[in-house]
Amino acid sequence: MHAGHDQRHLCRRRSVRNVIAMNVIEATDLHKSYGVVPAVVGIDLNVAPGEIVAVLGPNGAGKTTTIEMLLGLRSPSRGAVSVFGKPPRHVDVRGRVGAMLQDTDAPESLTVTEMVELVGHYYPYALPTADVLRRADLSPHAAKRVTQLSGGQRQRLSFALAIVGDPDLLFLDEPTASLDVYARQAFWQQVEEFAGLGKTILFSTHNLPEADLAADRIVVINRGRVVHDGTPTQIKALIPAKTVTMTTDATLDELGRLEGVKSAVPVDHLETHGIPASQSCGLQRVQLQVAIAEPVLRALFAANRHIEDLTVTEASLEQAFLHLTGETLKDEPEPAPLPATTATATATATAKGQLI
Amino acid sequence: MTDLTTVASLPRRLSPLTRPATGTARLLTTQVTMEVRRYRRIPEYFIGVVVLPIILYAMFGLGDAGEVLPLGTDVGAMMFVSIGCYGVVSEALFSFGGELATERSKGWLRRLRATPMPMWVYFAGKVALNLVFTLVSLGGMAAVAVVAGHVTFDLSRSIATITILLTGVIAFSTMGSAIAYWVRPRAVSTIVNLVFLPLSFLSGFFYPLDQLPGVFAKVAQVLPTYHFGQLAWGVMAPAQDVASFGNPPNGNTVGHLAVILGWFIGCGILTVLGYRRELDRERP
Repeated sequence: MHAGHDQRHLCRRRSVRNVIAMNVIEATDLHKSYGVVPAVVGIDLNVAPGEIVAVLGPNGAGKTTTIEMLLGLRSPSRGAVSVFGKPPRHVDVRGRVGAMLQDTDAPESLTVTEMVELVGHYYPYALPTADVLRRADLSPHAAKRVTQLSGGQRQRLSFALAIVGDPDLLFLDEPTASLDVYARQAFWQQVEEFAGLGKTILFSTHNLPEADLAADRIVVINRGRVVHDGTPTQIKALIPAKTVTMTTDATLDELGRLEGVKSAVPVDHLETHGIPASQSCGLQRVQLQVAIAEPVLRALFAANRHIEDLTVTEASLEQAFLHLTGETLKDEPEPAPLPATTATATATATAKGQLI
Repeated sequence: MTDLTTVASLPRRLSPLTRPATGTARLLTTQVTMEVRRYRRIPEYFIGVVVLPIILYAMFGLGDAGEVLPLGTDVGAMMFVSIGCYGVVSEALFSFGGELATERSKGWLRRLRATPMPMWVYFAGKVALNLVFTLVSLGGMAAVAVVAGHVTFDLSRSIATITILLTGVIAFSTMGSAIAYWVRPRAVSTIVNLVFLPLSFLSGFFYPLDQLPGVFAKVAQVLPTYHFGQLAWGVMAPAQDVASFGNPPNGNTVGHLAVILGWFIGCGILTVLGYRRELDRERP
């Protein structure tokens, strides 16, 4: 889907040469520091019309700060933002942008309908209240006061208030953070339905499956900079999505060479069951981080390797980010003046700290 | 490249059901209606700010009602002014101080900043809310005065007094909003009380100014509430009656207005500075 956008985008650039700003969002070299603490250190981000972009990163990566700069709620310390070709605080821009922000509680004593109507009046165009309530799955709760809503319903009200102005661009800052798994699915269906009107959407999340499910394009950020930018398929190939644990006679070397294996390490927890490590018979317990499990297993079976006690689990996000940050440090110039050997370990520790 | 070219290349993608806005007047009435509804539904707010002055008037304002000052002003009418002034300052400080601070700490104001609503609409809504609530409160007090206290009001003087009192809501609004923007949200209600109670006592809203120790009488003269009271009593009764009531007139109308306006502008500047600071606040 993203490739499609790219091609369209390129075609337009070729045909209309004098128009530079074809993107809904153009952010260049964004920096933001809070006092001496850098939150965002050089983010470039272009979003084309109709794209659904996920900003994926661990807590403290700079997602919220970035979104707030794109919304004009914070001024960048350095760099520039333009939205629909204008500064984000321009009234024309505000009229085309909707936002679902974290930690914003609606006034408590108004009803859902009243809130939606009130906020609708703030915009140059507004969707009919009934339509908004239906899109946010709030119709049965229309007459409830904000205080009477559950956490999930409040979150949907927040979504309703973000879309009531029929915005062309919608920002969602960790919209599903407080939702359970069913509510999440329902929520993304609502977003998808709204996107179907030709809207551009940028949301932040620290959940890879969610970004994969909802976005055309994933921008991975960590420690205030863009680490990767690509289609969900590209990002998933970079991030080990599965953890495979098994007892096998294949060597670590051999396992590490298999396509799609990000890492292979021995597990010495076998003793916990009172069973001695079975290295004597050439078997060892190993753990692999892989993008996709099936091809790896297929290759092992094809090679007639012995496999027992096999488990395949979703890799934790922590593992995913440890991996990504490790890679980044190898790929990019090291930002901090650290000795090369300790750099990865330090970065790993930082990422771990942020994730917990 | 001009804005025009860019916008032309990024056309609006409106939903088929969308409707254009209905204009600023409609926006303003909606904002005011919703503000009034909101606070009418919060009993602790409505009772504390609208009903309490009526209760206080019933308890303390009717004691000498029916007694007449030398030039014919009913003492009950003077007490109506005193407690009315207290009600106005309370309404302005609690609404602009306390409630604004709550909305600020809950992130609602941040959310509003991301919409195209101009901030003046928000503040206009708050002012209108205060005018409506003050009018209800004063109406309730007047009803108690007439029905329970058989107080006689001079109609034209009363209308002028109520006008002054309503203007007071606006005059003290910036003092509330300055507190809301400069005091930590959790401390706001304490600070509002710390400001509000001494102001009320020092300005003669609760007992006659001529009983205040000399030092306080001097302090009172720089307070906007003192001058506000002077203006309001002065409209309700001739100077001699105001003096007999225990609040000897001091200064002239222009002087009173100047002090009130000075505070209004000073606090207004503080509010703007606080708002600007908030626009790009530092994270803790």
